[in-house]
Amino acid sequence: MKFKLIYPRWEKLEGQTIFSLPPHGPVVMAAAVPVQVEIDFTDENVEDLLIDDNVDFVGISMMLTTQVKRGWEIADQYRKLGKKVIFGGISTMLHAEETMLHADSVFLGEVEGRLDEVFTDFRKNELKKIYNYLSKPPDMSLIGPANRDILKKDLYYHKGFRMVDLFHASRGCIYDCYPCAVRYLGGRGFRPRPIDRVVEELSQLDNNRLFIVDNSLALDTNWEKELFKAMIPLKKKWVSHTIEDKDEVLDLAAQAGAWYVYQAVFDTSDYIRNRIKQYHDYGIAVEGTILLGLDNQTEDDIKRLVDFLLEIDLDLAEFTVLAPFPHTKAYSDLLKQNRIFDKDWNHYNAGKVVYQPKHMSPERLTELYNYAWDTFYKDEPQTMKMFNLINRVMSKELNDGTYTPRRRDLANLSFGKKVTDIV
Amino acid sequence: METNPAFDKYMDYYFDYLGLWDSPSKCGLKLVKRKDGKTLAIATEIYRQNPGTPVTEVVAPLATQILKTSNETPVNFIFIEHTPDLRSKLAFYGETFDRVGFDWNGECFTNPSWTRLTKEQVDKMMEE
Repeated sequence: MKFKLIYPRWEKLEGQTIFSLPPHGPVVMAAAVPVQVEIDFTDENVEDLLIDDNVDFVGISMMLTTQVKRGWEIADQYRKLGKKVIFGGISTMLHAEETMLHADSVFLGEVEGRLDEVFTDFRKNELKKIYNYLSKPPDMSLIGPANRDILKKDLYYHKGFRMVDLFHASRGCIYDCYPCAVRYLGGRGFRPRPIDRVVEELSQLDNNRLFIVDNSLALDTNWEKELFKAMIPLKKKWVSHTIEDKDEVLDLAAQAGAWYVYQAVFDTSDYIRNRIKQYHDYGIAVEGTILLGLDNQTEDDIKRLVDFLLEIDLDLAEFTVLAPFPHTKAYSDLLKQNRIFDKDWNHYNAGKVVYQPKHMSPERLTELYNYAWDTFYKDEPQTMKMFNLINRVMSKELNDGTYTPRRRDLANLSFGKKVTDIV
Repeated sequence: METNPAFDKYMDYYFDYLGLWDSPSKCGLKLVKRKDGKTLAIATEIYRQNPGTPVTEVVAPLATQILKTSNETPVNFIFIEHTPDLRSKLAFYGETFDRVGFDWNGECFTNPSWTRLTKEQVDKMMEE
């Protein structure tokens, strides 16, 4: 049986890097598919999708809200050919009711231990309209290793440099942050994977550079410390979200290969200044993630924030405007105040303003968003700052003998396309 | 960042409800039988203590469920949504009150719309 698994394309933000990372959701899903099923995977961000009837069953895995309309379009075309389509993934859960209109089946929740049922139902022509496991998370020991064999790995190189692989060591989050839907998606509890299972998967990975995509690594000090201790011998180099601000934790993280972290910078306080310095003291670089357009930000606040970012010597910065994704407190608050004016999900890319900001017009917020990108990267462009980060990891790898030279045979290709063809 | 809301003058007990996709959910609840005979319901979002769907996301079915347990008529039922102050460093977790208006289709509330209230207005509504 041939299962066509598709990761729909989306349009990148203007200021973002051109990098396309191998997606995480599809490889996690693929690991739970019964072994006798042949999986044919297409990531539309790096290759064209050919829609034909040479498949038995179609799965569409979606992470971002900006993927859903394209996902629905693909499903509609396959269903016209008489193929059954099932949806899963983060943005399927965020947009479940609408997605059901384009699906034979929708899977909500986490897949481990649950896909045998789905494929058996498919074979018996008894596919359910909905498989609802949202409130029933699986046993964490069932998770992993992800099935990265479905990826066409050569497509995730830029001029011979390999992109990081995505990996996760935990799910869920204890917090309920304003713009975040993890509470709805992964539950209100922190669910770490058993460390031996994490190490087992890490040691099987042929990529030395990783992005640990956990919502936060700052949720359970003991687990975090044990994880980092166990990772030290693997000599991986990795990017992650926040790491706890305790010195002993940061020291272990650095030893375990922490390369750089995404750290939310939400104000100009000494707390943030010290937080960035603390990472730097342990040799960990910082990419600030800066959310603009919150109700406590005036125009002056945004300008001050950009000046502050330059002062604190951030290694990289990524600016976004608030996007009120469904099932977030941001969405609820703005909905109550009738401030959301744009419901085109393609516009929910965190670069377009889809709601009425409190202290300025949507147009002015867009100008300030562009101002932030332009000002931060005025003296040293993003490519140069990224290059500095890559140099840093390369020298760490050369020191510990894990450096892999770039692929010369892929030097003229960027994500599968000839470099000269990329505008 | 977040502390859990405590019982206070706007919350007398926990109320269990089914959230989105049947997720078991919980809010704080206070029911006040007013002097004018109407029933005032205050549903409090309890954040981390709520394992399921927030109040706002299912406010119409939740209000319907509370109405049915209160033996009140829709016309005499006033519904207020309350988010407590979590004393967060972030500005988005302050205390708010919203009166929620609905349409009644004969079986349940639909089409919620929110009107922000001050604490003083809520206190006054409890005394009316």
